[in-house]
Amino acid sequence: MINWKSLIAAALFASTGTTAAIGETVLRLDEVAVGELDPAKASDYADSILMFNVYDTLVLPTQGGPGHIGHLAESWSGEGNAYTFKLKEGVKFQSGNPLTADDVVFSLDRMKALGAGLSYLFGVVDSAEAVDASTVKFNLSSPYAPFVASLVRLPIVDKNAVMDNLADGEGDMKDWGQEYLSANGAGTGAYTVSSHNPQEETVLAKNADYFLGVGDAAPDTVRLRYGLEAATVRTLIAQGEHDIASQWLPPEVVQALAKDGAQLFTEAGTGAFYFKMNTTKAPLDDANCRLALASAFDYSTAVKMIAINDEISAGSPATGAIPVGMYGSNDASMVIKQDMAKAKEYLAACKYPAADMNIVVSWIAEVPLEERFALLMQSNFTELGIKSEIKKMPWALFAEQVAKPENTPHISQLFVNAVTGDPDTLLYGMYHSSTPGTWQSPEHLNDAQVDEHLEAGRTAASPEERAAAYGKLNARLMEIAPTIYGFDRQSVFAASNRVKAPALTDASQAFGLDGLGFSFRLMEMVE
Amino acid sequence: MTPVLRLLARRLGISLIVLIGVSMLVFGIARVIPGDPARIALGPNASTEQIAKLRASLHLDESIFVQYGHFIKDLSRGDLGISLYTNRPVTTDIAQFLPATLELVLVAGVLMIAIGLPLGIWSARFRGRFADHIIRLVSLLGVSAPSFVWAVILMLLFAYYLPLFPIAGRITDTYTIESITGFLLIDTLIAGNFQAFLNAAWHIVLPAFALALSGIGQAARLTRANMIETWDKPYIEMAQAYGYAPARIANRFAFKPSMIPSLTIIGLDFAAMLGNAFLVEAVFAWPGLSRYGVAVILRKDLNAIIGTVLIISAAFLIVNLIIDLLIAFLNPRIRYSQRDVK
Repeated sequence: MINWKSLIAAALFASTGTTAAIGETVLRLDEVAVGELDPAKASDYADSILMFNVYDTLVLPTQGGPGHIGHLAESWSGEGNAYTFKLKEGVKFQSGNPLTADDVVFSLDRMKALGAGLSYLFGVVDSAEAVDASTVKFNLSSPYAPFVASLVRLPIVDKNAVMDNLADGEGDMKDWGQEYLSANGAGTGAYTVSSHNPQEETVLAKNADYFLGVGDAAPDTVRLRYGLEAATVRTLIAQGEHDIASQWLPPEVVQALAKDGAQLFTEAGTGAFYFKMNTTKAPLDDANCRLALASAFDYSTAVKMIAINDEISAGSPATGAIPVGMYGSNDASMVIKQDMAKAKEYLAACKYPAADMNIVVSWIAEVPLEERFALLMQSNFTELGIKSEIKKMPWALFAEQVAKPENTPHISQLFVNAVTGDPDTLLYGMYHSSTPGTWQSPEHLNDAQVDEHLEAGRTAASPEERAAAYGKLNARLMEIAPTIYGFDRQSVFAASNRVKAPALTDASQAFGLDGLGFSFRLMEMVE
Repeated sequence: MTPVLRLLARRLGISLIVLIGVSMLVFGIARVIPGDPARIALGPNASTEQIAKLRASLHLDESIFVQYGHFIKDLSRGDLGISLYTNRPVTTDIAQFLPATLELVLVAGVLMIAIGLPLGIWSARFRGRFADHIIRLVSLLGVSAPSFVWAVILMLLFAYYLPLFPIAGRITDTYTIESITGFLLIDTLIAGNFQAFLNAAWHIVLPAFALALSGIGQAARLTRANMIETWDKPYIEMAQAYGYAPARIANRFAFKPSMIPSLTIIGLDFAAMLGNAFLVEAVFAWPGLSRYGVAVILRKDLNAIIGTVLIISAAFLIVNLIIDLLIAFLNPRIRYSQRDVK
């Protein structure tokens, strides 16, 4: 039978002369806009993907396990207030300039001077100095155990390339190369920037001179598109014109793509979904009330709501305040479950009568999934005889209102992740009494024991001591329940069958750091 | 001064006042909607110090009147500031995104006129007959569904089930075309690459149709109604009594006066498409200004909001000015009513 649709399509296609360069492999993926190319300003997922491919860092998380390995660094030593790193020999920037300790010092100074993105991670670093051409020393103002982990967020920039391209600005450093680096790459990374439009698309090309080499099967060209609609992505993947969808597709679309034969990539271990309770507002200023709500929540239904299929879900059951795999986390088998009997016990011990309660459950307008969780929560609370009210809040309004405890809703729903993979960057901002009133801390928690464990976790000398400190923190957070620990987050990406990404499919190859699994040099094009 | 020049000068003066009013209004509204632009721009992980520093650099810690003064001062130098969304000058963003939207809207506008007007004339000509009913039904469908619904339907029909047209973008990514005007249909021709031109034209078909369908329906319905109304006028009856052929009556006596209300609506539709293009641009991943405009509003990117609104307002005013001139050309009564005020 003649396939007339294909014939017409072929005729149209031929008339427009669309031909790809012979043998060239192209990987197409998408993310939400915008893609920030300046590595000192990188904070979102798209920025991280660009950063990890165009730039390199001194260390990388160990694949499939805890700790870090040297990347641009050959080795390092130190603890407490000083760390010294020896750089690998023979590493060159994409410009051809050799990597030196001066570049590392410059990269840190630039990040701190711009004060954007994740620069706050390096607030504890007083200075960096080049001991010699291949040795760099960091001086810290106080002991900070997660320092080495923080370095996965310090991309090393080509100082000479930046200095040659300074634009207007105040002082000797003018604009610190912001204009140049917002449109060009100046790293040692496995991919170079061919073109960049922060709202439309970034095109990357394989760097043949990469110091670790890039496999032949890795994509020659990568096209990272921004802001594609779910319907568009679905059609593009179905037509074979797209390879990896962003994690922000609605679960129904991912399910439909999976049914059509798409593979599912996952990235986990860095964050969780939390229902944060305002511990300063009645009735949630009473721990028994909070424990009653936490016990009444239907955790298993919440996880089912985000399931893509029987095997893969956008989250796994929570075991406590700390996601499984991080220091201090509980064993994966210790899943938190709904327990209405216990909820009633706690409610009886609460100083406020259930009949007088009216819990405001907020959800972020930009995340429709949260409305479903709010409805689930409302239904669970009704079983306890507690009234609740659902309130939709745009992110901008939410971020402003949480600054004051009296304006913060009783319950706020948030995805929070550890930007370095270390629990300090997940938990300190959420629970330390010195950091209330940010989007991460609508609990407004002020608990001396929690503070003590958090301080111990960031100053402990050994991994064992850190694990012990976070273990105690986890237990304390379960005891006072400032938060309902919804589920451990797992990002799910629908992908075509033309690409293999071991770091996103094999747990032993996973980095446990958002965006690093998208190191294109580790991917393989199958066609 | 000729009547047309007088009309032009008056309209330009009014347009300038409108633009100043729009700038003040948008400037005020953008600052009272909830959300701290510095906090949104720097992201959830920014420290209080980082936010305070950015607020100071944007003059957000000063009064709204002082802020407006800074804005006017910068605007007089052609500087709309830096977009907090893309971290680039707003003028660079607009220069990059505006041509894509203009190209889409222009093609959609051509489709609206080239299809909508003949359908209306034909429908009036065969009033009450089968062709009339079909055209009215199709027009009603076009008007009743918004552009983004048509965008999804057209994509499903002609890109998914029948893979005749591309799904996203302005041109297949294997082509590298130097941007001269920003209009791909023109740049491909300047480059002498006819294959690329065809490819760009192939890409614009679905988004332009999705954007134009509502306007086509509206133009057809309005033209039909006006033609029928004109057809009942005494001077048409007189022409019929003189024995002119129906086609000659339609072209010479009925068409021109019927066009005046249609042109006004087409002009408004045409300008409105600049704003309505957002969802069509989103569905077809068309890198245009409307999509950018909505993104910057959601991020409360003050400089970009004002820049985008001013540009769209200016385009709106220019289109209306052209329509006014066309109407004045078609209707001498309007042309000669522009008298000097003594």
